Amino acid sequence: MTTSKENLDETPFQTAGPFLHIGCMPNAIKIEKLYQNDLGETPFKNKNESELITIEGSVFDGNGFALDDVMLETWQCDENGEFREESGFARFIPNNLTKKFILKTVKPGSFKGFDGKIHSPYISLSISSRGLNMTLNTRIYFEGDELKNDPLLSIIKNCNENSLIAKKISKHSYLFDIFLQGEEETIFLDI
Amino acid sequence: MSVKSLIRRNYNKQPELDFPDYKSSIFRAPKNKKISFPSSDSEILGPIFNKNIIGELDNNLTLNFSKNKKSPLGHKIIVYGTVSDQFSNPIEGALIEIWQANSAGKYLHDKDKNSAPIDPNFAGCGRCLTTSRGYYEFLTIQPGPYPYPNRGIEWRPMHIHFSIFGKSFGQRLITQMYFEGDPLLKHCPMVNSIADEKAKKSLIGALDTSRSNTQNLLAYKFNIVLRGIKQTYFENRREGL
Repeated sequence: MTTSKENLDETPFQTAGPFLHIGCMPNAIKIEKLYQNDLGETPFKNKNESELITIEGSVFDGNGFALDDVMLETWQCDENGEFREESGFARFIPNNLTKKFILKTVKPGSFKGFDGKIHSPYISLSISSRGLNMTLNTRIYFEGDELKNDPLLSIIKNCNENSLIAKKISKHSYLFDIFLQGEEETIFLDI
Repeated sequence: MSVKSLIRRNYNKQPELDFPDYKSSIFRAPKNKKISFPSSDSEILGPIFNKNIIGELDNNLTLNFSKNKKSPLGHKIIVYGTVSDQFSNPIEGALIEIWQANSAGKYLHDKDKNSAPIDPNFAGCGRCLTTSRGYYEFLTIQPGPYPYPNRGIEWRPMHIHFSIFGKSFGQRLITQMYFEGDPLLKHCPMVNSIADEKAKKSLIGALDTSRSNTQNLLAYKFNIVLRGIKQTYFENRREGL
């Protein structure tokens, strides 16, 4: 076995602050002349409505308030379990009235990883906002899928692993709420 | 065979999530320990952004929102540097998005309640992809410091927000660049949420006057380091040997 030693430290994070939309989603706040589209508006292009699932939810703080100044980013493989660098990324914010976010995407497939293991379908999710000195990372798995042999889920024991599993509402729609604190605090990952 | 993994993040050189001096963290920072696990494909791989999304003026904040080529107020600066990984390999094609206040310390954002004026010729928004040597450059305006509600009214030091995508989703970084010599730096709870002095210093752009004669500009150098990816090789052994 060989390894080499890194010589630089990773640059530290700082909070994205309340005005992250200016840099990351200017069209969403009506700064419309700069970029043609906001990045990650659709994770997969040229898909029919019938091929898509909807994941809906809110991000709750320790007071139980649903937040509208957070930015969510997702990254996933396609329905065949293939990661393609030109697609699979989405960026979105909760609606400022309903405080709910909605992600429309294809349901990812399971895949055989670099590690040789079979991974259950999931979407990687990151959360950045005011009050978070670092971006948080978690995953969205899906209720109804085969989950017990997933390499990550199988190492999570005796804690709130259900927080990583989106509840199935209907054939094509799921609910995934995120709790930053409290009894139901979501599991966050050191990715 | 070989296995790829991201170098484990060193949390001693990162900000504390739960840092009550920064009031907004009190009800937002998760309390439980994060779960560590071996990197999988979704962390090693990541979205890559195409050159064709980048417009000609996207890295020129002095012109990308100006009306009739009018300059925004304030003095022009260049912010430049490299994006590399922890092994000093330059990262080509990294997407850098920046946002900042105008020279009066005001953001072009409905939620900015600061009474300073907006600048009709400045949005404070820019982006670019790094070159084959990992180089990036923005032409912009010196952002002003500004007051904000924290423990009473406090002042943010001058800063520019940076969002960076490297090649891996696990390299994703959101941070802020500060300016050498800013007297507000030592009072800022967001800066002070990083305990390690060297790590804190790495966020401060260094003044570079070498361009001040030729281009009439002050420049600030800010190098960015994303996590490295380690490849671990194992000898192949046939079973039974």
